[in-house]
Amino acid sequence: MSSEFEPARMHYCRHRAIKRGIVIVLCLSAVAAAGAEEIWKTVAQMSAEDKALFDPATSTARDAEYPYMPAERYPFEPPYTAEEMGYRSAEFPHISRWPGTILDVFGAITSSGYINQGETIFYAKPAGTGLETYLYGTKPGDVYTSWMAYHTFPPESEGAQQLWVPYRTDKEFQTKMDLFVYSPQLRRVRRQPEPRRDQRFADNAQTFDDVLGRDAWEFAWELLGTDVLYETIRFPNTRPTIRLNRGDKGFVERNTASVKSMGDDFPHYLPDGGVACWVVKATAKDDWLPGYSEKTLILWLEKHTFYPLRQEKYDSDGALMTIEVRLAEHQLPELGTFGYTALSTVYWNIPNDLISYSFHDAHSAHDWSEQEKAMIFTAEFMRRDWLYKPLKSQILIEDPDEYFMRPHLFPGKFPGARNVSIPADLEARVRAQNEAGHLIFESGGTATSIAGE
Amino acid sequence: MGDMWSRFDRSIAKFDPIGRHVRKPIERAIPNLRFKGFLRQWTDVLLDEDGIDGFRDQDFRFLQLQNLLEIEMGYHVAAGLDINVVSHFLYDGVYDWQDSDGLFADSIDRTAEIYHDRERILREAYISYRAPRFDLKLGKQQIAWGKMDGQFIDVVSAMDRRESVQLETEDFEWRRLPTWMANATFHFGQNSLQLLYLFDFEHDRQALPGSPWASPLSPPPSAITDIVLKPKRPRSGDFDDHEYGLRFDRSQGALTYGFVYFYAWDKNPVEHVVGTVISGGRTLLRLRPEHERLHHFGITADYATTFSGIPYVNVLPTVFRVEALYTNGVRFADFGKRAAARAGANLDGTSKRDTLRAAVATEFGLPARSTLIFQGSLFYTFDWESTLGAGFGGGIGDEWTVIPVAFFSRPFAFTRDRLSMELTVLPVVSGPSANWQGMKTKLRLKYKFSQYVTGQFIYNGYDSGSATDLYGQFEQWDNFGWELSYEF
Repeated sequence: MSSEFEPARMHYCRHRAIKRGIVIVLCLSAVAAAGAEEIWKTVAQMSAEDKALFDPATSTARDAEYPYMPAERYPFEPPYTAEEMGYRSAEFPHISRWPGTILDVFGAITSSGYINQGETIFYAKPAGTGLETYLYGTKPGDVYTSWMAYHTFPPESEGAQQLWVPYRTDKEFQTKMDLFVYSPQLRRVRRQPEPRRDQRFADNAQTFDDVLGRDAWEFAWELLGTDVLYETIRFPNTRPTIRLNRGDKGFVERNTASVKSMGDDFPHYLPDGGVACWVVKATAKDDWLPGYSEKTLILWLEKHTFYPLRQEKYDSDGALMTIEVRLAEHQLPELGTFGYTALSTVYWNIPNDLISYSFHDAHSAHDWSEQEKAMIFTAEFMRRDWLYKPLKSQILIEDPDEYFMRPHLFPGKFPGARNVSIPADLEARVRAQNEAGHLIFESGGTATSIAGE
Repeated sequence: MGDMWSRFDRSIAKFDPIGRHVRKPIERAIPNLRFKGFLRQWTDVLLDEDGIDGFRDQDFRFLQLQNLLEIEMGYHVAAGLDINVVSHFLYDGVYDWQDSDGLFADSIDRTAEIYHDRERILREAYISYRAPRFDLKLGKQQIAWGKMDGQFIDVVSAMDRRESVQLETEDFEWRRLPTWMANATFHFGQNSLQLLYLFDFEHDRQALPGSPWASPLSPPPSAITDIVLKPKRPRSGDFDDHEYGLRFDRSQGALTYGFVYFYAWDKNPVEHVVGTVISGGRTLLRLRPEHERLHHFGITADYATTFSGIPYVNVLPTVFRVEALYTNGVRFADFGKRAAARAGANLDGTSKRDTLRAAVATEFGLPARSTLIFQGSLFYTFDWESTLGAGFGGGIGDEWTVIPVAFFSRPFAFTRDRLSMELTVLPVVSGPSANWQGMKTKLRLKYKFSQYVTGQFIYNGYDSGSATDLYGQFEQWDNFGWELSYEF
């Protein structure tokens, strides 16, 4: 695209309060914008090399035990169908599929600069490592992991705990998770209804399924083409460095400009620093997810690992709801391409112009002993008020001015499949942040009504 | 771009003076010390000043002007070994900041106005030791049993009930009266077994005469003609007076359940007739308030599931909870026997009964981050008679009382969930005597100013019922209030 802004006729149709018609689409990155038309390719335009890796079949043999899964065993051999790419991407949910500890530093900011952050220490105990164990080692109704979460910030939440016990589900067994909450103010462990899957958490842009991950069989998959990403999470120019807790190395200062989207040791960066991606579209199947508000997902999957670096969510009317972008790190090299995990994720909820982040600081693999497994991952453990493995972080954002910027919109890419039009007031805020290199705040702004809002 | 509200948001985002200038330096200087707390201000204002109501002169507007500072410190001594201290500093300005003849509780007990003694200021102080399968907490502490809103098996710690019918579950943390005890828990698999040994006794504190929430049905001390002696309370130094508790819990997938037993004292004494005196030709009773030994047996359970194919909402995450407490040997004042005692019969004016209090709740996770809870609560006195007064766990002035509570909460997306509301409706029905006892309605609006500062606006209404009913007696106590809280 050659111009900075491109008029769009699409209206932002989900909210009655948003006036139709006056919508301008942005290009947010000079780098991306300058070469966007040359970079992204439809399936027909893909290189011969890429075409050789892609199997266009939409109907493949089915698994004998689980007819909703492909007969070919995960992780599949190339060429890959779009469905198989979807399965491969499911290897990388928000929380890695291996046992470990994470200090999840998270937050959300509004367009006025109201910031709400938290720190939660997660202990994860999956039944086995990797998606393969999940696919073939668990049955619907089986518990496939346990996460114990201990909140250490803000002061109001300090000492609050949660135990998440997710189940594998299918059409018959639909309970996604047992959820227990301990409130130090109530001094009680209470079982809570599981969160609604497609509903963002209060004061956050992240949904329950964003955390838990989505089962590939609940979606119909289509390959849109290929693309190259040069930037996912955007640090502001007001935050030139961050201090990461790198486990054994202690706190390490990093220049934010040097943080790469697939980590430092990723071997497949293009010569210009870009990351080549498959771009796939996932549409929620009505018989699996009736009424699911996040009807369509478009994912940018790194070509070699299928790691989802970017995800866009659209509602049933095709309106853009959320953009999720990630920074990955190769935390467990012994797992090869499966050893990547999210270092950081930013979610931009467009209807509310709410920007959330989650930073997995002090993330390390940890093999729990049998005694620890029996002790920690129970509801009653929470009553003990026991911060079993304390972790520290210096990632919290001290000043709203230092908050992450809104992700790129990439308006020119895959125009037939993507409608990234946004309301005019939001567009003005995006333009202002791009000019300043950091967020520019104002009161009011967009607040549209979408399903579950 | 940018305007005043935005500047306010960005400014208050960084407002954490005690955290920055006290907590962080302390924790940096003493790495093993954890220092936290809050400063909270509650104000409740009566909608009307109604003058004489029953035995009360309602010549005041403010029901509370409370300021509470909590300081919590924990020192990590060694692996598994910690020392914890929680201090409370409370001042209630209702007695100083308004001109009222109807408020005089501070002259009866200064604690109504300010925490001035060690017992209240040193709220909790205990040593905790944790091993993988065993916990021990020794010292002054509070215990909360149960999962329900309200008190069902939550019987261990006494409560400061100065707010009477306005005391809510979320206030229990600050209103419980911690006591000295040994608290051991054994963990084995998905099970846990807790053993309590309480060698100190705390009794409930009801709203004092002359306090904002004193019942208009209670005559002032000067109007009581019988002779009420000093209460006889259990003594710490007497081994026979100590209390013992046991709690077993188990998680089994979607089902969690537990049992409790507590050999305890009734936290509220019942007046026993211990003699009579003839004065001015009238027979006056000599009454001694005494606490009664009780056996509490309780159960608690919850179960979670997600219903699918539900119209409008598609899926409906749901939790069911049940909790019940059966209490053996509750002592009631028996006004029939008291009249007989006044006439010369050798009776102590009390009767013993068993009681049951139980609740069944269903909680739904609705769209838009909304929650709906229905909770039916039952209070029942076995072998009830109309001459019985109040007693632990039984029907409220009746054989049975049912409170079908409805609770709804949701945040508002247009405020990016900073504003949320909660509505609670508590109608009270009982039988066979009173029938309708009035209804309480509570509306709470909560706003997050920042990650450290929150504010609330709360309305409480008490409607209908007669002047002798649970909520009916407080019909002139409709009030609104606010709470500002800063946590550091």
